[in-house]
Amino acid sequence: MYCDKVIELLKELERSREDTIPPYNNDGINHVLSEMKTLDAEIIDLLRTQKDNLPLDAIRLRRAAIERNKRCLLTYIWTRIQRLKEMRWEIGAILPSDVRQNLSQSEIEWFNNYCKTLVSYMKTIGPDTGLNLTQDTKPPKSLYTEVRSLVDAGKLELESGEVLILRKNSQYMLSRSQAEPLIRQGVLEQVRQ
Amino acid sequence: MFVEDLVKGFYDIISKNKILILVNYDVDAICAVKILQCILRFDNIVYVLVPVKTVSELKKAFEEQKVDVKYVVLINCGGTLDIIEILEPEENITFFVVDSHRPTDICNIYSSSQVRVLTPPDDEEKIPDFEDIFNENESSDEDVDSDELDEEESDIVNVNSVEEQQNKRRKLDQTTLVKRRERRRWEENRKKLLFDYTQFSYYGRSAAMLMFDLAWKLHRESVDLLWWGIVGVTEQYILGKTERMRYLREVELIAGHIGRICDSTAINDDEDNMSQSSMPKPSNTSTHVRIESEKDLLLALYRHWTIECSLRYSMFTAVSLKLWTIKGEKRLKQILAEMGLPLAESRQMYHSMDLSLRKQFYGMMEKISNTHNLLQMTYPSFMLHQGFKTRYQCADYVYSMVATLETNSRESSPTQCFYNTMDSLSRSKKDFLDQGIEKAKWILSNMFRHVQAALDMRQVILAGPFYYLIVQEGTLHSQHYSNPHCLIMLASFALRAQVASSRKIKATRLPLIASATLDSDQDTCLVVGIPPITESMPRSFFGKAFEQVSNKTNIEVSLDYFDSSIAKMQTKDRPKFFDALTALLS
Repeated sequence: MYCDKVIELLKELERSREDTIPPYNNDGINHVLSEMKTLDAEIIDLLRTQKDNLPLDAIRLRRAAIERNKRCLLTYIWTRIQRLKEMRWEIGAILPSDVRQNLSQSEIEWFNNYCKTLVSYMKTIGPDTGLNLTQDTKPPKSLYTEVRSLVDAGKLELESGEVLILRKNSQYMLSRSQAEPLIRQGVLEQVRQ
Repeated sequence: MFVEDLVKGFYDIISKNKILILVNYDVDAICAVKILQCILRFDNIVYVLVPVKTVSELKKAFEEQKVDVKYVVLINCGGTLDIIEILEPEENITFFVVDSHRPTDICNIYSSSQVRVLTPPDDEEKIPDFEDIFNENESSDEDVDSDELDEEESDIVNVNSVEEQQNKRRKLDQTTLVKRRERRRWEENRKKLLFDYTQFSYYGRSAAMLMFDLAWKLHRESVDLLWWGIVGVTEQYILGKTERMRYLREVELIAGHIGRICDSTAINDDEDNMSQSSMPKPSNTSTHVRIESEKDLLLALYRHWTIECSLRYSMFTAVSLKLWTIKGEKRLKQILAEMGLPLAESRQMYHSMDLSLRKQFYGMMEKISNTHNLLQMTYPSFMLHQGFKTRYQCADYVYSMVATLETNSRESSPTQCFYNTMDSLSRSKKDFLDQGIEKAKWILSNMFRHVQAALDMRQVILAGPFYYLIVQEGTLHSQHYSNPHCLIMLASFALRAQVASSRKIKATRLPLIASATLDSDQDTCLVVGIPPITESMPRSFFGKAFEQVSNKTNIEVSLDYFDSSIAKMQTKDRPKFFDALTALLS
């Protein structure tokens, strides 16, 4: 059957979790490309051998298969890039190594370019230093949040230049932007009201 | 120094900077800090909160956190100690003290600016005047005098003849003698005044209510904040830290607040109803939260328990009906019969009892209370209504929070318990509260059994001027009484039970000391003293007595807790300590 391979590719992508990127399936893509090439060759072959009564249906079928393969491949690449983009907004410019391993060369290139564009755009917003758009994608309820320290983490310099000492089992009120990375690291725990 | 205006003298100052909050482990302090947090959240003030249990923990926490801190708020801790001497802070650090422990240390009161006490002074406190305690001028004058004298003398020796010098000296001697005598008299007076002032330790106004006052003055009060304030006040009443009169006075004030806060929300509710009369009501429960003041029974947790259990294990009914005896058991049955409450119903959870019985219950109890030596069974109290189902009395909160705070288990550290207690105040975390109620039931029933056993075995022993009760290590759940609050509750239960069961009138005038093992590995024990029941004000002189005993003997008594009537010592020193205490008090 035509187009089986490409459907498998898409299914593989679909089966993976939304927030992860499965390894780039180089073999699968090559396979589909070669399938497309054979189809193309077959069409040309048909055109050349049976000039008098063209088997129009056969050509149309192969043509449709090629188009479908193309569409599906684009979907595959596009979905992956969308996920990559989301990761840029959530994790930041530096990707974890396990994600990086799963990317193809061109995807890495795209990612670097995307980062550059995003940063240069964010620099242009606001008067001097720019605005970090990735920080609060949704409006926060408050700029400050209450957190509890889970470990003895030591000194933390606040944005105002003051020094705070993180000790196990103490509670703090910190600005959200400073607390969030520490919460992700597991140093702090947010106190819900 | 005292802060006159809470907003100008306290909040406006701290709201500019990062602050350090140190909190004691008790329900009132937790409520107070919860209110303070809520206020601070409005202004996005960065703070660090550290719970401290003892003086040494206070010192340690302060040392760790003092970098870059200008303002320190102490909640229910430190007021009775000379903060400057203990913590040795740098000069730019200011302390604000919100402490319900009394008496406030004299050095804190007369500190010029570094220590500021937020609770306004009470008339009953009788704070000694500044001149009677401190006399810097005089002492420094004297030093100057003597210096001048020396200088003059040396000059004189060089210039004048010996005779003249002697004359002069005689004159000077006389004046110094007079001065010295005056000074001695003043010192004696000072000692007496200080002794009178520090003799008794007791509790003042609830810290939570003070914090609510601050919120009120800042126009940031809400139903939640008021409820936390109420819980703080109720804790003082339930645990016997304050007398009935003061509680009633607070209740009046609170009633006024309720009228103001809850009415406005009710109006909002009506408006909602009007505008959305055709639509189904929104499931927003927050609009349904309201506090109602009503008279309630001094029965512990009866809304979440069975009537029989609650009657049996509440201290008030257990003591008045002497429920630890067989006769008492009969009396309990008789009361239930007189009320017309079927046994089957009384053994049922309150919320699944017959509705009509539930509605009549309060009236029935009130009627019964007159005939059965149960006067003062009712007291004004508050209920939190939330939606249609959940109803909590403020005493339920107190029992639950005490139980959560003093859970002794290996897996959860004391600080974890502290935060769980704090969380149980949030309405979104009702699980903690319900778990706490279950624990409180367990604690109350165990306490009753313990008192029963102690009376049967005659463990409450009369030692001249006081009773004492030692919780033997190894008895069932004895490790539970290593927590100060539980031990105090046990002690006051035991004292009341002992007084009720003994016929001597003298018994009512005796205090009780209870002791339990604190840490079996280190062989330490906890000793608490509670005042006699006839005392109208719950003042305890044990703080001073413990201190004197430890001064006179070489027993190492560490008065590390903020409540001075709680002491810690080595278990082997305990008999000696009791002997010394008997000698001192008789």
